[in-house]
Amino acid sequence: MSSQIQGRYLGKGGPLFRLYLITSLLTLITVGIYRFWAKTRIRKYIWSATTGDDDSFEYTGTGLEKFLGFLVAIVILAVYLGIVQMVLFYFGLNLFTEPTSQGQELAQLGAIYITLLAVLPLMLFAQYRARRYKMARSRWRGIRFGMENGAWGYAARALGYYLLNMITLGLLNPLVSFRLEKYMADRSWFGDAQFEQTGRWQDLYAGMKHVFIGLAIIIVGAVLLGLLAAGGGVAGAIVGGIAIFVGYIWLLIGLVYYRVYAFNYLTGHKVLDGAVTFEAHLETGKIIGIVVVGTIVISVVMGVILAIVGGVVAAMASTMAGAGVGDFGGGSIAVGILLAVLYIGAFLVAGGLGLVMITQPVIEHAVNNVTVHNADHLNTIQQRAADAGADAEGFADALDVGGAI
Amino acid sequence: MTSMGRFFDGESGQRLDVGLAVDAAAQTLRLEHPDLPMGSQYWPLDAIRALADHARDDQLVLSLRADVALDSALIRTARLTVNDPDMIIVLTRLCPNLKRRDLERGTGRRVVTRIGLAVGALALMIFVILPAMASTLATLIPIEREIAYGKTVVNQMERFLGGKTVGGLVCTNADGVAALEAMTDRLTDAGDLTYDLNIAVFDHEMVNAFAAPGGQIVLMRGLIDKAKSPDEVAAVLAHEIGHVEARDTTRNALRAAGSAGLLALVLGDFAGGSAVVVVAEYTLNASYTREAEAAADVFALEMLDRSGTDAAALATFFDSLDDLEKTLPDLPVYLSSHPETVDRAQAARDFARSQGLTNPILNDGEWAALQNICKD
Repeated sequence: MSSQIQGRYLGKGGPLFRLYLITSLLTLITVGIYRFWAKTRIRKYIWSATTGDDDSFEYTGTGLEKFLGFLVAIVILAVYLGIVQMVLFYFGLNLFTEPTSQGQELAQLGAIYITLLAVLPLMLFAQYRARRYKMARSRWRGIRFGMENGAWGYAARALGYYLLNMITLGLLNPLVSFRLEKYMADRSWFGDAQFEQTGRWQDLYAGMKHVFIGLAIIIVGAVLLGLLAAGGGVAGAIVGGIAIFVGYIWLLIGLVYYRVYAFNYLTGHKVLDGAVTFEAHLETGKIIGIVVVGTIVISVVMGVILAIVGGVVAAMASTMAGAGVGDFGGGSIAVGILLAVLYIGAFLVAGGLGLVMITQPVIEHAVNNVTVHNADHLNTIQQRAADAGADAEGFADALDVGGAI
Repeated sequence: MTSMGRFFDGESGQRLDVGLAVDAAAQTLRLEHPDLPMGSQYWPLDAIRALADHARDDQLVLSLRADVALDSALIRTARLTVNDPDMIIVLTRLCPNLKRRDLERGTGRRVVTRIGLAVGALALMIFVILPAMASTLATLIPIEREIAYGKTVVNQMERFLGGKTVGGLVCTNADGVAALEAMTDRLTDAGDLTYDLNIAVFDHEMVNAFAAPGGQIVLMRGLIDKAKSPDEVAAVLAHEIGHVEARDTTRNALRAAGSAGLLALVLGDFAGGSAVVVVAEYTLNASYTREAEAAADVFALEMLDRSGTDAAALATFFDSLDDLEKTLPDLPVYLSSHPETVDRAQAARDFARSQGLTNPILNDGEWAALQNICKD
C-alpha cells in the first residue's frame, strides 16, 4: 500500500445519463414520491465511481429512510411555518398605514415577504444536517465517515456571519467561509479519527484578488460613464459601458476563482488524526471550461427539441385546418398531450445533460486532483459507532437545500 | 474456481487481500487470509448480495445479507471486492440472490403508519388549525389597520389592471355615483353593518367584482355592462358586502400567508412538479372559499329580501355567467373562483319564490346613470 493516495474518478456519462432518465421518469409517474430513491441511486453511482487506491467509496443511505425522514420533517415544517408565517403576517398588517402614492403599497406588501426570513435558520440547520447525513452514509474501506451533532450551533453562527458579511459588503467573506467550514470540518470524523481544519482565514484573501479587480473595473467604468456622459463625450460613455461589462464578467470568473482557491486551501489545510494530510489542485480554467461547454451543448440540444416541437405544432395546425372545425376538439387534445410529453422530455434531457456534462465532470476534476499524504496511517483507523439519523436529511429534502447531489 | 479479492471487515481500515474459492457442492464462498479469525470465513452463496447502482462494471462489491434495519447507518457488514472477470462470472451465475434487496420485517406496516400520521397531521394543520387561527386573528386586528390594508390591496389591484395613479381607474360620473349610493343605501338601510363601505367602480371591461379588507368593494364596468337589470348589480354588491361583513378577505389573506409554500414543500421540485403544485393549490383554495361563497350568497339573499329587491336577480346573474362559461373556454376570474354557478342560481331562485312583493332597486333614470358611471 502506497503512502500517498491519488483520487481517481471512474464514472461515465452514458450509464449515469440512463440512470437519471429512468429515475426521473419514475419520479414523474409517482408524482414526486420516487425522488428520494432517485437521489439515493444517483449518489450510489457517484460515490462508487470515486476511488482512492482503487478502493471505491460506498453510499449506504436508502431511499426509504429518506422518505420516512421527509415525512417527519414535513409535519414539523408545516406546523412551524404555518404558525410563524401567519403571526408575522398579522404583525405586518398592524404596521400598515394608508397608501397615498403609487409604489408605496408595493413597498408595504414587500415588507410582508420578510416572513420568508422565518425559513432561513431552518435552511441553515438543514444544510448541516444534510452534510451530516451524507457523511454518516459514506464508507471507504468499510470505515464510516461521521459528523457530530451541531446543526443549531451551525445555524446560529451562519446567521451571524452572513449578517456580518452583509454589513461589511462582503469584505469579510474569507472569514465567513473559513470559520463556517472549520466549524463543520472540526466536527467530522473518519472512523475513530477526527479531522481538523488548520490554516488562517486571512490567507484566503489571496483568492479574492479577481473579485476585487472585477469590482474595481466596474467602479472605474461607472465613474467614466457618469463623468464623460455628463460632459457629452459619446466615446467616453462607450468606453465606460464596455468597462462595466468587462468588469462584470471578470467578477463572475473571480467568484469561481475564489471558490476553487478556497477549496484548494481548505482541503490542503485539513488534517486527519493529526497525521494524514491532503492536497488539492483544482483549476479554475478547467471548471469554467466545463460549465461553459456544458451550458452551450445543453442550450443547443434544447433549441433543437423546441424547434421540433414548433415544427410538429405547425404541421398539426395545417392538417387540422384542412380537416375542418369539427375535428378541432380531438386534434387539439392530441397536440396538447404531445406538447406536454415533449416539454417534460426536454426537461428530463436537460437535467440529465446537466448532470453528466457539468456536475459529474466537475466532481471528476475535483476527485482526480486530490491527493492524500501519509496514507499508511489510515490502516490504523478503527470503525466508529453508527450515527443514527432519525430524520435522515428530511429537512433538506423539504426545503430543497443541499446542492446538486 | 479460485482467485483473489479485497476484504474489509468493517471494523478496521486494514485491507486484506484474501484468497477466494467457490465450493459449488457446499454452496459457499471461502475467504482465506492468515489475519482472519481461524484463517478463513465461509459466505453462503445465497446470502451474498452485490451493491446496487455500482459505477464500475469491472468489479463486484459484495456484502453478506445485511442485518437489515430501517436506519441504514446500522448496517454493519464486511465488504468484499472482486476484480477477477472469471470470478465475477462464476459468482453472478452461482449466487441466486445477488441482486435482492432485503427489507426488515414489518417495514410495510411502519411505512403505512408513518404516511398515515404525516397525512393526518398535515390535513389537521391545513384544514383545521390554520383556518381557525386565521379566523381568530381576523377578528383581533384593529379596524383602522384592516382599512389601511384593504386600501393597499385595492391600489395594488388598480395598478395591476393598468391604473397609472391612485384612483386613476375609479369612475367619477356624478349621476352614476349618486345612483350607486342610492343602491347601497337601500341595501344597507335595513341592517347594521360593522364596516363603513367604500364602494368604487373601476373602468375595466372584466366581468368581475371583489371585496378587500375593511369595507372596500370594487365593481368592474364590465360587470355593470353585462348585467340585465340594476337588481343584478345589487345582488353582486350584496354578495360582496357579505364577504366584507364576514371578514372573508382578511381571513383568506392570513390563511394564505400561513399555508404559503406548504404544498410546494410537500410535492418537491421535479420536472412537471410546478404544474401539479398550481393545480393542487387551486383545488385547496377552492375548497376553502366554497363555504365562504355559500355564506355570502345567503347574506346577499337576506339583504335583498330586507330591502324589498327581487332575490331572483342573483339567479339571473348566475345564469348569464353560466352562458358566458359555455361560450368562452377561457374562464373569467369571477367565474373560476365562484364554482357551481348552476346550483347557486337554483338556491337563489328557491329563495326568491318565498319572497313577497318586490320592486326594482333603481328607477330607469338611475339605472341609466349607473350604466354611464364611467363616462365623463
